[in-house]
Amino acid sequence: MIYEIAAYIAGIFLLMGALFSLIAAIGIVRLPDLYTRMHSASKVGTMGAGLSFLALATVAFDGPLILRAIVGFVFLMLTAPVSAHLLARAACLAGYKSDNLTELNDFAKDQ
Amino acid sequence: MSGSEFLQWAAMVSLGLLTVAFFLTIFRILRGPTLPDRVLALDMLVSIGIAYIAVVAIKTNFSLYLDVAIALGLVGFLATVAFARYILQRDRNRMDDNPNAKEIQK
Amino acid sequence: MNRAALATVLALIWAAITGNFSVPNLIFGGAISLLALWLVRKDVSSPHYFRKARLAGSLALLFFYELSLSASRVALLVLSPNLKDKLKPGIIAFPLTVKSDVQITLLANLITLTPGTLSVDVSEDKKKLYVHALSVPDKQALIDDIAKGFEAKIIEVFE
Repeated sequence: MIYEIAAYIAGIFLLMGALFSLIAAIGIVRLPDLYTRMHSASKVGTMGAGLSFLALATVAFDGPLILRAIVGFVFLMLTAPVSAHLLARAACLAGYKSDNLTELNDFAKDQ
Repeated sequence: MSGSEFLQWAAMVSLGLLTVAFFLTIFRILRGPTLPDRVLALDMLVSIGIAYIAVVAIKTNFSLYLDVAIALGLVGFLATVAFARYILQRDRNRMDDNPNAKEIQK
Repeated sequence: MNRAALATVLALIWAAITGNFSVPNLIFGGAISLLALWLVRKDVSSPHYFRKARLAGSLALLFFYELSLSASRVALLVLSPNLKDKLKPGIIAFPLTVKSDVQITLLANLITLTPGTLSVDVSEDKKKLYVHALSVPDKQALIDDIAKGFEAKIIEVFE
């Protein structure tokens, strides 16, 4: 019984994870410039991979395996904002311009 | 539909969705237009790869794939950090050579 | 002493990842942790280590909650048909009230996880945090939002 329910929950997690990954990829293609694309990749994309890890943890039924899946999930969540921040900072300092939709730019003003 | 049948079906559908996501991301890598755009798309590709591996791990019930996924996540993070440093360094060098480089950004 | 406590925690995390809590593996993990701490060199530990660990736990929960919320918001935005009209991106300078490096790091990461905002850089004098936002209809409203939300929470946790 519990195996059945876990399998259903894991299936839903898998589908949601794949859907989030797909939406992140659509965002990367549709959004106009680097900085807006970063929002899509760093939040939605991480969520997609993270949900897949959670699905793995749900069907594992084995202590160390569940622990490892959760540790992987936590690593993913902790590294995502850091790498997004580093890339945004590097692009900004290197002077990559944002799209012409951007009117407000305090960073360029202060440099 | 029993639980395990549903799980198998969900895994197949997820693989399909991830493949579409994969090709969309590759489109962005080919299209660019700038280096940070490509780095970002590569980062995205890594997280799609992690999702792929997790789905395959569930489908085949082979738990060693989990370690591969964790390792790939950490390597992908390090790669993005290294690329960010490279972008910073490269553009600093270029601006030393040519002060007008900032204007012809491509 | 504190370094030893940190190494112990890292060794336990190592055992969790490798899925093996046997004594040789724990010792091996401890050795790797000490090596990593030696590589970092700076004194990362602080006196109230265990109190901080509990606070970190509660902040981690907040982290995950905010991430799932913001992921769904951005996902909805990406899928909306009139994307260009809804976007009004901008980089704003957020005046920081928090002072220490740890607090700024935490705030920057939390901002990255909120819907539609992403931290870009901290100014040299640590007084301003540059934040990229997907839509800035009102700059002051956004600044107030962050100051009253996350920054207030972080100050509350650390004081």
